[in-house]
Amino acid sequence: MSFFSIDQTDLNYSMELCFAGAGCDLRTNSSELVRVLEGLSTSTSGTVLSGFKMRLVVDESSDEAAGEPHFRGLHHVVMASFGRSNVFVFDILRRTLSAGVSAAVARDSSLWKEKLIPITLGVLGSAMGLVPVHCACLELNGDGLLIAGASGAGKSTLSVALSEDGFNYVSDDWTYISRLHDGIVAHGTSAPVKLLPDAVEHFRSLQRLSLQRSMNGELAYEVDIAEAFGARVERACEPRWLIFLERTPGAEAVFTPMSSAEARSYVKSSVERLPPQLHEAAATREQTIERVAMLPSWRFRYGGTPQFGAKELREFVVHRRQEIHV
Amino acid sequence: MTNERCWHPDLLRRFVPTPYVFSKCDGPNRFLVESNDLEIALGVRHSDIVHCEGNRAGGLLCKVIRDHWAGPIDGSDITIVSDGFLRILYMGRGTILIHDRERSELLGFIARRVQVQELISSLIPTLLNG
Repeated sequence: MSFFSIDQTDLNYSMELCFAGAGCDLRTNSSELVRVLEGLSTSTSGTVLSGFKMRLVVDESSDEAAGEPHFRGLHHVVMASFGRSNVFVFDILRRTLSAGVSAAVARDSSLWKEKLIPITLGVLGSAMGLVPVHCACLELNGDGLLIAGASGAGKSTLSVALSEDGFNYVSDDWTYISRLHDGIVAHGTSAPVKLLPDAVEHFRSLQRLSLQRSMNGELAYEVDIAEAFGARVERACEPRWLIFLERTPGAEAVFTPMSSAEARSYVKSSVERLPPQLHEAAATREQTIERVAMLPSWRFRYGGTPQFGAKELREFVVHRRQEIHV
Repeated sequence: MTNERCWHPDLLRRFVPTPYVFSKCDGPNRFLVESNDLEIALGVRHSDIVHCEGNRAGGLLCKVIRDHWAGPIDGSDITIVSDGFLRILYMGRGTILIHDRERSELLGFIARRVQVQELISSLIPTLLNG
């Protein structure tokens, strides 16, 4: 049996960090882990939410890589394990992540960037009014565009095409929304873009990359959009519109307005059900969802290539911006 | 798309029904046992150490789920993690117990292969007595 007390371990290294607008008070016994997380943090001047704590103990004697993920939750606690040496406990009420990890996991920057930070924000975010929404987010000249749609609707390929067409990229699969004064802010985590194998038909640069098995078992290209496509990346923006993407067989592009009730229903379907012990977090989350639902929402039905869809969406955004400014 | 709420699947198993419930009040203290497994509920109910913990101020809520959904077990070594009010016992995929001292709650999941006797005589005492 092994025992470690995070309270009684000398967590000599501490740092204030910021992820998706949420302040993070990090304490750990590993300078290597501080270096990794500091590299993924945004400037703390961009902190817009009351924060959370990370208490991370690194077992320098263990070099076990992250194993298969396993998640469970009861009441205010969520547990995640990635093999025997990597155990994470999220205390949502106290906004704290306590974890023991191997030295191999501590120095795995990609794992923190692609999995562990997004998971932490997804679990603890509910207590901070940070709502994970299943949508992509792009920005043009300060105006954000949330792109929602069912899995397979083409959010990721459209995001890449928009990035190649002058939009700044914020996020692909999950966007974290928080309230700020009377508005909302959309945050990305620099997680990689996940493109299904057939995306290579539209983006030839994928040919030099190899497919990987993602967390849900799908084979996909998981790429850093800046490296693979030269996209400009923004960490946050202020969303102006919510677009629901639907594919049609023919090469057409049709925009039709959607009600706030439909938008609300979609966003609510993105979020996890919370247990009664977290009723305050659920109420805070509802307020953020309500703000998202009030965005002008449009259904965008298109067929053809992602580049065609991006061109149509760009014209739509330019037109709508003119209306706003008038 | 409809206006009806459509929740994600309960991947964390937060909402597993726990039809086996035992409750006992002793003054301000409430001792409550909930489980989806009758044998676990009975075992915890009759456990001396759990009773002892439940007799402290604030009582004790025990919610222990038999985890029928966990994948292959990846080890039987016990790891105990302690941080603030939480003390956690982890014994490979499928078995994790958490004691929240401030909220007087004992929560957890037990893998299929773990016997109730082991839970009562070994795992819970190890968790509570550290």
